[in-house]
Amino acid sequence: MIKIWSMKKNEDAAAKKKPKTSAAQIRVQKDLTELDLPSTMKTNFPDPADLLNFTLTITPDEGMYKGGAFVFSFAINTNYPHDPPKVKCTQTIYHPNVDLEGNVCLNILREDWKPVLSLNSVMVGLQYLFLEPNADDPLNKDAAQEMSRNRDAFLQNVKYSMQGRSVKGVQFDKVLVR
Amino acid sequence: MVEAQDIPTATTSIVADGQPDSKTRRYDRQLRLWAATGQSALENAHILVISGSATSTSILKNLVLPGVGKFTILDHANVTPEDAGNNFFLEGSSSIGKSRAEEAVRLLGELNDGVVGIADTSNVEELLEKDTSYFTSFTIVIAHNLEPKLLETLATLLWSDDSFPPLVTVRSAGFLAEFFVQFHEHTVVESHSETAPSLRIDKAFPALLDYSLSLDFSAMDPTDHTHIPYVIILVRALEDWKKAHDGKAPQTYHEKKTFKAAVLDLKVKFDEENFDEAESQAYRCWTETGVPSEIATLFQDPRLSSLTPTSPPFFHLLSALQKFTLEHPYTLPLTSTLPDMKASTTSYIHLQKLYKARAEEEKERFKTLLAVPIDDSVVDSFVKNAHALKVLRGRKWGTLDADHSLLINALASSPKQTAIHLSLSALSALTVKQSGDISVEALTAEVRSLLPPSSELPEEFSDAVGEVARAPTADLPNTAALLGGLIAQEVIKVITKQYVPISSYCTIDLVDTWTGVI
Amino acid sequence: MGSQFTDWQGRYYHIDQVLDKPGPRTDPAFLAGDGVKDFLRNQAKILVIGAGGLGCEILANLALTGFKDIHVIDMDTIDISNLNRQFLFRTKDVGKPKATVAAEFIMKRVPGVKVTPYFGKIQDKDDDYYLQFNLVICGLDSVEARRWMNATLVNLVDPENPESLKPLIDGGTEGFKGQARVILPTITSCYECSLDMLNKPTAFPICTIANTPRLPEHCIEWASVLEWPRVKGDKKLDTDDPEHIGWLYTAASARAKEFNIEGVTWSLTQGVVKNIIPAIASTNAIISGKSRTLETTESVDNTHPAAACCNEAFKIATSSAAYLNNYFMLIGTDGVYSYTFEHEKRDDCPVCGGESLELSISSEFTVEQLIELLVEKQDIQIKKPSLSTPTTQIYLQAPPQLEEATRPNLTKKVSELVPPEGEVTVTASTLPFNLSLRVTYT
Repeated sequence: MIKIWSMKKNEDAAAKKKPKTSAAQIRVQKDLTELDLPSTMKTNFPDPADLLNFTLTITPDEGMYKGGAFVFSFAINTNYPHDPPKVKCTQTIYHPNVDLEGNVCLNILREDWKPVLSLNSVMVGLQYLFLEPNADDPLNKDAAQEMSRNRDAFLQNVKYSMQGRSVKGVQFDKVLVR
Repeated sequence: MVEAQDIPTATTSIVADGQPDSKTRRYDRQLRLWAATGQSALENAHILVISGSATSTSILKNLVLPGVGKFTILDHANVTPEDAGNNFFLEGSSSIGKSRAEEAVRLLGELNDGVVGIADTSNVEELLEKDTSYFTSFTIVIAHNLEPKLLETLATLLWSDDSFPPLVTVRSAGFLAEFFVQFHEHTVVESHSETAPSLRIDKAFPALLDYSLSLDFSAMDPTDHTHIPYVIILVRALEDWKKAHDGKAPQTYHEKKTFKAAVLDLKVKFDEENFDEAESQAYRCWTETGVPSEIATLFQDPRLSSLTPTSPPFFHLLSALQKFTLEHPYTLPLTSTLPDMKASTTSYIHLQKLYKARAEEEKERFKTLLAVPIDDSVVDSFVKNAHALKVLRGRKWGTLDADHSLLINALASSPKQTAIHLSLSALSALTVKQSGDISVEALTAEVRSLLPPSSELPEEFSDAVGEVARAPTADLPNTAALLGGLIAQEVIKVITKQYVPISSYCTIDLVDTWTGVI
Repeated sequence: MGSQFTDWQGRYYHIDQVLDKPGPRTDPAFLAGDGVKDFLRNQAKILVIGAGGLGCEILANLALTGFKDIHVIDMDTIDISNLNRQFLFRTKDVGKPKATVAAEFIMKRVPGVKVTPYFGKIQDKDDDYYLQFNLVICGLDSVEARRWMNATLVNLVDPENPESLKPLIDGGTEGFKGQARVILPTITSCYECSLDMLNKPTAFPICTIANTPRLPEHCIEWASVLEWPRVKGDKKLDTDDPEHIGWLYTAASARAKEFNIEGVTWSLTQGVVKNIIPAIASTNAIISGKSRTLETTESVDNTHPAAACCNEAFKIATSSAAYLNNYFMLIGTDGVYSYTFEHEKRDDCPVCGGESLELSISSEFTVEQLIELLVEKQDIQIKKPSLSTPTTQIYLQAPPQLEEATRPNLTKKVSELVPPEGEVTVTASTLPFNLSLRVTYT
């Protein structure tokens, strides 16, 4: 057997022993403790000992979704940050970029995810969707069409949906906090 | 070279749609690499492997598994205790004393019921003397560590006629090895090149130009505007530019920059990705679509000036291609393959239809230029791959060693590769001349006799010759396996006429773990 | 014991040529002859991870080169589509565990070799299990499993125990391409160091899939990403189940028809959902081309990368020749092109990089005192550190809920939370990645 250890001894650096904390775990700890969130976003950990599953509540303080509280679930797997976090909206909401199943259309959650991105980038991206919904690349096509063709009706629909009323036969969850 | 026979009935159905049959499921992964056409060629091939060594069976394993039609092992030797120790296709000590060809064929045969294996216990030397037609009847012949005199005879025989099968020669000793593929000519249509054909944005065909001019970008609703395919944006922007610039595309660096800025200026919102794509693809406007130089070179092929009705179809197709490129718009036929791009379904599908219709028209024109009738599917494939055709011309085995100037050049340009080649050549020569230990000195003297007097040996030579002297008769399992993988891959490329096979020596050093061509 | 019956005269004629004599590039420490043969044949214990395309080849090569105590782990069972390359399996074996069938085949074919199979996950095994081997060869198709194995072997390295350093040889393949690399945990670049070289599976924007499909692949992704969960709820999609593939194929075909898209086939459906399509031209691919490493064993030629891996294992175990430093890639689509290079170790690698510190404190020391001590240490320049052990969060500076939840720990003794010799992971925005502490008590 080749004498690897003798090579090791010749190295200047001292021998290092790493804890058994997984790379994903360390990275999540780093991401979470360095979160730099505005007052409009808040994380909640159902089990504070489990850093891999939590929710994020966004309460926009401007724009058409002002007054609502939107809750997203985050599920991080052990292959993070190679795999992006899995994010879903836990409520049924009326938004061009969120479908009725809670799927979210945000490029960095899928095709543009890179390990150098962090949980902070994802959260900021999510909040942006409420300030500037994008009607051109929609997930909820009806909402998007309404938004680009009849903005007033769209705003009305947003308002109704946030109150928990139904819009065009679809029942939405009440998300209003005030 | 033997053309793979086209016997569609020989291949049981490989269905493209619906749940696949068990054969398609078995071959699923490889069909993704070489498709049903490649599989059919493989199933119609008959391979001869000379000797049942560990390296030979390792090569065969990788041809039997994907389903080569037939293989023959030609080996008159019986299994020795040494053979039984390093060959996975012998059954340990229980195979000792039995025919090596028969044992190997039996165990290789277990890998795939659909493959026919033949053990031939004739003596290769006698066959070479008495029955040369034996060797010329195969699709391809592979010889491992065959003694130089016989190899020379075999190589000369298979080189003596264009229609005779290619020959793969393999030599190995310990951690070092080399192989060589001898063929006259090898044409490839499906080279699986990663270069994409031109979209002809600079020479937009009438329907494409009309369509792009018919759109009023400024009157579109914002969603539609965000989904105009970049191809349309560029065709339009280029046309506008040409109108203002004497019909010329952007030429100077400054003009190109201005053009790109103009493309981005068409945005109505900052985040319109389709315009970003158009900007990044803008080079297509000033990169003139013509005949790629590699393809233009093929038009110089001597075969084209001496075409007869019986010439290989490839050259008839090539000749038609040349004629095609002499007509307006002086390009290769358009392919209908459109890359994905930011677009709405309808705008993309519409664009795709325009490309398909035009490609179909040009293919019809191409067909009228053919001097002989050729099967439609062959024409389709040829036209689709016209931008990546290959014609390889090989050399006879031994050409390098017979020509001092070639050797000197090889030593200068690829010293460590040539050092391996020379050491292995010296080894085969010495093994015949002497028995017992092979010394570094004897090998070096032999190498010197191959080279012109006073030529210098490269620094790397001692590494190579030392390894050869250390293990002159060792057919190491790992070296055999590596050769088995690489050579089977080359054989598949030759048989299927897909991808590009090697056309020189490939040398392998498993001490520092590298491969290199001379 | 068995060896006197199975090691017939001449059995190792070929291999012994390189074990009886050194070559020009053999390390002077190589002990030619009986010593090295005894180690290889009677002492060396080697672990093979994966009994698939690469694994079958690896097992056969190791057995022939003279390794006699081989262990193999694989969690899969045999599928018909394995038979065109996983040559230890026959039609009659379909459905059986790969590890078991492969082990039995090798033992039958190569007498005197003991192959111990484990049908299960690598994560089922603990450090003591991995410590028993001299070498580990990985022939896996999963990034996640490779990261786990790599991290486990890096963590195993104990400065007090030279034997704890297990060389890891990793193979990968895709189509006509293959690679082999040698990882000496904590010494050379590790798997995690090269994670950014990975090619990510093609992912299409979800809005394209939902609203503007253009390619048959978009229709298939719609079926698997959006339609399956919508219709089937929490039922997990099993890409090995023909019924599931059939359902996706039907759904994707209908969608393709609706949008006038051509080209949805069964084979493409399976290829997209199992990610076995060699390459799909996507919008992203046009805009940014990137070099990449190979990660899937779903290919045809497993032979050459497996051979390269086994050759490295043989050279490392015997010292009979220099070994690969440290990365070998081979591409066979256009001629034979290969590239051997040294991949550099990354200082900020979360697995093998980062700083480590031995810290001796009083068993009365509180967490708060430990944090003060860290902040005051001039040489590490740390601000607002967050601390955790592999199993618990000790103190996290943010977000507020977690800070609050971990705040009571500040007044606790470190020794209540961390066992002697225990590891503490420290992160802080001022650290490039992390710092690991090894705590001992006085």
